[in-house]
Amino acid sequence: MNKDSDQVTPTNAFDALMDAAVDAIVIIDEKGTIKRFNHAAEKLFDYLEQDVCGSNISQLMPEPHHSDHDAYLERYLETGKASIIGQGREVNGLKRGGDTFPMFLSVGEIKQPGRHHFVGIIKDLSEVRATQEQVRQLEEQLLHADRLVILGELTAGIAHEINQPLTAIAAYADAGCKIIERQSAGLGGDINLICERIGEQSRRAAEVVQRLRKLVRSGAVSKARHDINQIIRNTLLLFEFEVKRSNTELLFYPLDSLEDIYVDEIHIQQIMVNLVKNSIDAISLAGMTDGRIEIHVRKEDSELLVSVKDNGPGVPESLRDRLFESFFTTKSQGVGLGLSICKTIAGAHGGNLQYAQPAEGGSEFTLSLPLKLIG
Amino acid sequence: MTQEPLICIVDDDEAIRESLRLLLFAEGLHCAVYDSADAFLADKSTPPFDCMLLDIRMPGTDGLELFRILNRKHLPYPVIFITGHGDIPLAVSAIKLGAFDFLTKPFQEGELVEKVRAAIDDCRSSRQHMLELQELRSRVDSCTPREQDVMRLLAEGLPNKGIAESLGISPRTVEIHRAHVMDKMDAHSLPALVRMIAALEAE
Repeated sequence: MNKDSDQVTPTNAFDALMDAAVDAIVIIDEKGTIKRFNHAAEKLFDYLEQDVCGSNISQLMPEPHHSDHDAYLERYLETGKASIIGQGREVNGLKRGGDTFPMFLSVGEIKQPGRHHFVGIIKDLSEVRATQEQVRQLEEQLLHADRLVILGELTAGIAHEINQPLTAIAAYADAGCKIIERQSAGLGGDINLICERIGEQSRRAAEVVQRLRKLVRSGAVSKARHDINQIIRNTLLLFEFEVKRSNTELLFYPLDSLEDIYVDEIHIQQIMVNLVKNSIDAISLAGMTDGRIEIHVRKEDSELLVSVKDNGPGVPESLRDRLFESFFTTKSQGVGLGLSICKTIAGAHGGNLQYAQPAEGGSEFTLSLPLKLIG
Repeated sequence: MTQEPLICIVDDDEAIRESLRLLLFAEGLHCAVYDSADAFLADKSTPPFDCMLLDIRMPGTDGLELFRILNRKHLPYPVIFITGHGDIPLAVSAIKLGAFDFLTKPFQEGELVEKVRAAIDDCRSSRQHMLELQELRSRVDSCTPREQDVMRLLAEGLPNKGIAESLGISPRTVEIHRAHVMDKMDAHSLPALVRMIAALEAE
């Protein structure tokens, strides 16, 4: 061994850097031909440096970039306008074998006399993206589970809602049979009316089922334009029985103007169901016979504010900070996820969920949603 | 006096009110319908009913509350409660409070009509009974105090002589009073008179 190999010469340093880098580094010339391909790039793209050097960089790109890369280069060299040089961008890469993967690419320029090269530094995003996707799926499952829990709690009400039209249908059908008997005896009776009513009541029962199926549906977020008043009205229909049972007043003060918001209807409904159910539970637990829940919708600046206010016992000051914590509950059968999930949903829509105690006592939760289109 | 039976329906669900009304109509029974206990109470001109079908759960004044109010006013007709599945304990309380019967939604075929007819019969026979008692009472009132004394002792089984001694009057006077009593009470025999007195005392 001679002393030279101990020194880090410029050439050695460069090679050392290339080989030591964790990110993939690829150097191309102005025609897009690969000049250098480091270890990390070899591992990432599954090619050996000796195999790719001399080939065009576009072979590491899936369509459309594959075909367009030459054009990108040309345009840059002519106009000096780049869309990627000096910045970074998330793109897809193409491995040997045909698999594509997400990567973050930043490109720099090497201008030297007699040489115009570009250096690309590539960060593999596969794992990050996979984890994010997993998290997203888990969140959706959690939200779905919350909806199922709520649905379970509303079972008595649901059974009642379906039982009412069924009772009417049975009575109409019995009446129908009797009327047919009477008609053959020459007495009166309107069979057509009976049949119409049976049809109406059947549709009434079907509507209840339809509303519930929407709530129970699982799946990714699907935002669309909705009328906030209508979303709230649909929610309140789920509570008719509960409200009757506990003799609570449920009052809705809708927004007086027509404002569409761009939201996932099921998620917003989920928040409303959680809030109204909480109020009903609070009133019922306190044994109140004069329970009153008010829902107000107002527009303030560029936000929609939906408040759910009740005259129940309210949240004690000592517990207010913990309201939106996961797994925090004061209910003996509670899971404690409802409010934290609601706050997360509100945030995902660019809004917020907050608690305040009204001057006259009780509780007030306010959901704020931005009116500007998101996404 | 035989009138057409009249049923009263109190239920906040329109479809149930109407379907029951139509079902009973098809059976030849007429109904008056109210959508709430308050609407019923507000109607000062409610005709005499033979039976009431009352929804146990209603917003505002609920079924049991209305029943208590009617009890305080000594309503003269049987009440059948309409209940849902979870309401059995409530229905039991209602029976204990004096309700005639209860029906759980949805009704079994023929169940509603059966129970309503049973209620009407019960109502009619108890009305008949009330009328008879009223008649007896007015007959008793038409007797003089002395005649009433004689009547009471007669019913206890005392012979004329014993009555005379007990009241300090002559047996002859007792006989006269006795004749008046039998006449005014329209009793054809002593046992008949005894039955009448027993019926009055049972109330």
